[in-house]
Amino acid sequence: MALNKRERKNTELKVALAGNPNSGKTTMFNELTGSRQHVGNWPGVTVEKKIGRAFYQDYSLEVIDLPGTYSLGAYSEDEVVARDFLTAGDYDVVLNIINSANLDRNLYFTVQLLEMGVDLIAVLNMADEAEKKGIKIDKNKLSQLLGTPVVETVASRGRGIDNLLEQTIQNRDLAEVSLKIDYGSEIEDLISEVEEMLKQYDFSQQINQRWAAVKLIEHDPEALKLLEREVGASKAKKIKSLIAERELKAEDDFDNIIIDRKYEFINEVIAESVKRPAADEEPENVSDKIDAVVTNKYLGIPIFMAVMWAIFKFTFTLGDPLIGYIETFFEIAGGWIGSQLLEIGVSPLISSFITDGIIGGVGSVLVFIPNIFLLFLAIGVLEDSGYMSRAAYVMDKVMSKLGLHGKSFIPMIVGFGCNVPGVMATRTLDSKRDRIISILINPLMSCSARLPVYVVFAGALFSSHASTVVFSLYIMGIVMAVIMAGIFNKILFKGERSHFVMELPPYRFPTLKGVIIHMWEKVGAFLKKAGTIIFSVVVLIWVLANLPLGVEYASAESFIGQFGQLAAPIFAPLGFGSWQAAASLVFGILAKEVIVGTLGVVYAAGEGGLRTALLANFTPLAAYSFLTMVLLYTPCIATLGAIKSETQSWKWTLVTASYLFVLAWITAFVVYQGGLLLGIGV
Amino acid sequence: MPLAMLRPGETACITEIIGGRTARAKLTDMGFVSGKSVKIHRSSGGSLIVGIGDNRIALGRGMAHKVIVNTGGCEN
Repeated sequence: MALNKRERKNTELKVALAGNPNSGKTTMFNELTGSRQHVGNWPGVTVEKKIGRAFYQDYSLEVIDLPGTYSLGAYSEDEVVARDFLTAGDYDVVLNIINSANLDRNLYFTVQLLEMGVDLIAVLNMADEAEKKGIKIDKNKLSQLLGTPVVETVASRGRGIDNLLEQTIQNRDLAEVSLKIDYGSEIEDLISEVEEMLKQYDFSQQINQRWAAVKLIEHDPEALKLLEREVGASKAKKIKSLIAERELKAEDDFDNIIIDRKYEFINEVIAESVKRPAADEEPENVSDKIDAVVTNKYLGIPIFMAVMWAIFKFTFTLGDPLIGYIETFFEIAGGWIGSQLLEIGVSPLISSFITDGIIGGVGSVLVFIPNIFLLFLAIGVLEDSGYMSRAAYVMDKVMSKLGLHGKSFIPMIVGFGCNVPGVMATRTLDSKRDRIISILINPLMSCSARLPVYVVFAGALFSSHASTVVFSLYIMGIVMAVIMAGIFNKILFKGERSHFVMELPPYRFPTLKGVIIHMWEKVGAFLKKAGTIIFSVVVLIWVLANLPLGVEYASAESFIGQFGQLAAPIFAPLGFGSWQAAASLVFGILAKEVIVGTLGVVYAAGEGGLRTALLANFTPLAAYSFLTMVLLYTPCIATLGAIKSETQSWKWTLVTASYLFVLAWITAFVVYQGGLLLGIGV
Repeated sequence: MPLAMLRPGETACITEIIGGRTARAKLTDMGFVSGKSVKIHRSSGGSLIVGIGDNRIALGRGMAHKVIVNTGGCEN
């Protein structure tokens, strides 16, 4: 199996973590590598292949966190990633993380890996939860029955980690024996025959032959593809028809028999190695009691709305005072640096570049760190507590009317933080149709980058109703997403339906470490963006505001002014036909935060700040119309890039970019013209 | 009868999983296997929450029709 094993240095190991979602796999990864990682609590949180490094004694371990999977069936792209990695075999040992409190289902995956001949250590994680439930596992017996080492851990408390590392190093060269389950004479005879044929046809020796035979008998689509690649279509057909012929004579479908035998084997293993308290009825646990309220038919959606409202209140009430401090800091810093520069005789142009361009531009974005910080904190708590999958369940009814199901709602909530991970989170969806629709509507979830724009406008023009105005925008985004999903469902991919099955993990208190790692990762990404994309755009805007040479800074005659004037007529019917507003929207496509920075430059904020300038240039109605535009129009380049790489299609990327612009224009038009007719906020 | 027909609070024993390959495999992956006992925790007209042992699983109605159960309960 492990092909490149011997090529690595003796003190270097490549280790992969594999296991069911909610087995504590990501927590284990954090514990082993201490890397800045995210710990989630809903199915499929690990959407990318995450790599970290662990050190133990003289050894250096490369640790790969594979997406959580329930089996090697590979239905969603997440699972395909895990399966491809595991079958390719480029690793020393797989640490199969098992939820000890939920042994039978977790072992179903373990058994599949063992049958394939994967060299693995069975890691009985969450051993404390099993203990609490009175489950006693005989490690030695289990190890003997499975034919592989077994280690006990509690990753969330760092228990058993050293022992695990020790065992990993000791067992780096596990004997390559695979588990054999007796599938009964009928199937066993067929397996031998298929194996014989595979040998005759020179089927790759690197793949466990028995495993391949079993997979073929199960009609596993991937295995059938592999067979055709390896031996050619005509020989593959011979094997397939042999299997089909036997299946006709059998009393049940072979895949059913194989699944049943696997579970029977697991039941036997558990009967011999595990002692459980005899309880006829599963008692209602705490999670069930919470669920009785949270997933209630009538209360479910109101509770979800209340949770979202609480998140916004939390973000604003706590964030706003902090914003004030940071604002003051940048004002003072800008003024002080400006005067220092003048004193040492730096030309006014360069001084303006540093104070107006860099400090003003980047500062105007960095001001919002507290809000973004708090928003991600709240989303992190939502994920890690287990509420996220309940929200998905609650929303299933609404979503299913749109032809989607509840699971599609999770990427939408993630999108509130940032649309890039939102788009990536659609990987856990197993039908292509669900994925495409979820991707198309994800940018309608108002990401944290748009928040600065709302806050500035709401603060300037809607002081007493600021948070209501901002909340209404978030709701508008959701409503638009619902409408668009319904429309896409009607016009695209008719008929295709997917299967809704989703685990609801038990509620957990989010760990401080997990939430902080999550939050820091996101805020770090924001700072990085501020330092790169936003910085470059701010510099670009400053340059455009100063050219052609000799023009007054950021005036209508500068390049940026001419540029804005060119685009302005498009927005005139929406109530904000000024060249300043147009220019900010154009640059906003590079990164939404830039809208604020651009407005700061073009209104040459200076005295009185941007808020005063906005008050002078926007009526409340025009401001609301502008915010509607900001909410709905073309997503930023990073999101478009994510859409391109996830859909592998320019078509869907362009569809997203353009339909959103049209939608935004029409909606803003209705808002503005409707408001004018009714005389609201004029 | 299909699992979807059960009322909240009722317990039954899985006797068979029907339906297409993918649907069947997804259900077995999540622990829906013949001989297991399932309990309906919640059924709101749309999807259900069912319990298999300590696991709680949200299940679409379509999927719940593919799980055939016997209300007599499991033998052990």
